[in-house]
Amino acid sequence: TSLPSGHTMGHSDQVVRRRARRWDMYQMRFSSVFQPVNLGMHSSSHQQQDGHAAMQGVRVESPLRYTPYAISPSHRRVSFLKQDQTHVNMEREQKPPERRVEVNRSHGTLGSWFKITIPFGIKYNEKWLLNLIQNKCSVSFNPVEFRYEKMNATFFVENASVASALKNVSGKIWDEDNEKVSIFVCPDGIPHSVQRELKSEKVEQVKLAVNHQQALDIQKLPIYSDFMTCDTKMAPNPRKGVAASLHVHEENTPKVMSSGETDKWKGTEPGEKCVDRSPVCTTFLDNSSNINSILELFPKLLCLDAQQSPGPTLCGLEAHKRLPTCKGSFFGSEMLKNLVLQFLQQYYLIYDSGDRQGLLCAYHDEACLSLSISFNPGDSALSNLFKYFKDNRNIKAVKDPDLRGQLLRHTKRDIVDFLGALPKTQHDLSSFLVDTWYQTKRMLCFSVNGVFKEVEGQSQGSVLAFTRTFIATRGSNSSLRIVNDELFLRGTSHQRTQSALFTLVPTPFSSSMPAFSQEQQKMVPS
Amino acid sequence: SRKFRSNWSQGDKDTTKEVTIIRRGHTPARWTREEVVTPPLPGHAATSSLMATPMDFKTYVDQACRAAEEFVSIYYDTMDKRRQALTRLYLDKATLIWNGNIVSGLDALNNFFDMLPSSEFQVNMLDCQPVHEQATQSQTTILVVTSGTVKFDGNKQHYFNQNFLLTAQSTPNNTVWKIASDCFRFQDWASS
Repeated sequence: TSLPSGHTMGHSDQVVRRRARRWDMYQMRFSSVFQPVNLGMHSSSHQQQDGHAAMQGVRVESPLRYTPYAISPSHRRVSFLKQDQTHVNMEREQKPPERRVEVNRSHGTLGSWFKITIPFGIKYNEKWLLNLIQNKCSVSFNPVEFRYEKMNATFFVENASVASALKNVSGKIWDEDNEKVSIFVCPDGIPHSVQRELKSEKVEQVKLAVNHQQALDIQKLPIYSDFMTCDTKMAPNPRKGVAASLHVHEENTPKVMSSGETDKWKGTEPGEKCVDRSPVCTTFLDNSSNINSILELFPKLLCLDAQQSPGPTLCGLEAHKRLPTCKGSFFGSEMLKNLVLQFLQQYYLIYDSGDRQGLLCAYHDEACLSLSISFNPGDSALSNLFKYFKDNRNIKAVKDPDLRGQLLRHTKRDIVDFLGALPKTQHDLSSFLVDTWYQTKRMLCFSVNGVFKEVEGQSQGSVLAFTRTFIATRGSNSSLRIVNDELFLRGTSHQRTQSALFTLVPTPFSSSMPAFSQEQQKMVPS
Repeated sequence: SRKFRSNWSQGDKDTTKEVTIIRRGHTPARWTREEVVTPPLPGHAATSSLMATPMDFKTYVDQACRAAEEFVSIYYDTMDKRRQALTRLYLDKATLIWNGNIVSGLDALNNFFDMLPSSEFQVNMLDCQPVHEQATQSQTTILVVTSGTVKFDGNKQHYFNQNFLLTAQSTPNNTVWKIASDCFRFQDWASS
């Protein structure tokens, strides 16, 4: 179906004044952003339900309307370490005036703006990439505000049919390494230059309302819309106060990560640190920072101690043996946290998109992958794991060396083909618990614990828990390439998964339950 | 040929014994209680040879599996029954992330394992992969992933997931594997 001249609600193009129509556009978009997305629902039926016409005619792969959030622009091949708020401000002032002119010219109608994202696009030259896409795209497009955002390349286009044509190009173009290039389209992106055309007052009002609502609803969103971070000059942000009370395990971590300096990692007694908490990292207070949006993607990371810390007299080396307090995710440094979370967000975006061939660029040529499963008594539905049995590489059970060898997938093409044959999934990023357990200048090792839902096939709707262990090499531009990937799957028990999903941090977020776990509760037999 | 282990483990706590296992089709692996030792790595062994045989991938995988099996049986046995000897399996600068707590270096590891209540581990799943040399600067390394249950004294039983990086220290006669890193998580850590 064709999009009715870029807006909704049945207004006629010719009659409504331009400004009022823009306002309607924003209202419509906000209401759709904050609808909790029902996992497992087909994206097209979801769109028809809420009459969100901007979505019609656009083939969006993921059932979630999501794009990687807009963050401070990065120059190609500049390390993200150099990005900070200052950088962002400079960027804004330097925006070339001719861009605004371009936007105005094509601005006969406000149209619908779409943000186009190429994951891992940071490795591509801008001109080369745009040419590659244009050569394959059936319509000519005008890319607005092309930039690199961490590992992505992004730009905006103004027309739904253009966006749709671009989406169709995804997976049909290859780079010079013969790896597929994926293209993702989000209808909620708005270029900065367009935003500025609107009355600033109205924008502020809208953002205030949205921010507040967003802070309350954040747990309902498995993925966070990037629209909120498009403009750095936001109204007072309720997240700021909350973020200041959060803690991260910075206390025991080295500042410099290299193999030669591992002796800076002081040995610690977990018990000793129960009273002394280091102050929160200042980047949390950065309004525009993607770090805030990353944290909101992963509320589990905000959770610290799952149990009350003992008083000071009970800490440290006392006679009684006790288990150390269990803590949330561990990263080792702010930089590593950003790097790992960015990577995971990219990875699962593609993984859940329906075309896992896009993961080729995430793997080293000679990577290895294996899968293992375990079923614990009390887990729901062992039958959900049946389909994985034949690929289970549990070397306690598999003794034949040839079979052991076959079950280890080797080379990225084999790996991606294997992953492509697994059922389509929806991962709950809000459930992710991450441990970054080893790093050197050359490699980064981390494990992810979380849950996902199968969204197709016989076990559609079943929820499985996973622990995925990654070892990746680090490139010069902070890019990561997986060399080892071990995926462990198990069933979920209502009790165990529920406790893993609930965060116990007293923040405004914890008042609402994640939509995902609510659904999952319905599925578990009572 | 594994039966001897149950007898042996009830032996004297403080004596270091050397035991030889003869397995069909394999060269004997000699190990002490506190070390994980496997035969010399192909391609690393004879210094007299000018042309070291490059290890092909299949051999690399087989050898990783063997080392992993040896390692896991020794590690958890030592953890449960000879806790004071456990840190001998770790490199000096090894790190442990235990349910989000970082413990780094042998001194801290000794204190940590001393403080941890006594344990009963049951490993149900074991998987392993050779780690690509590009990541490890040609230091032979394997990734070992385990899962199972553990009961710490005074606490309820937990399901756990764990992974290790083991690095090989090669001599002409054998290979000694040590833990470079260790990451341990209860599956239900939030309700522990």
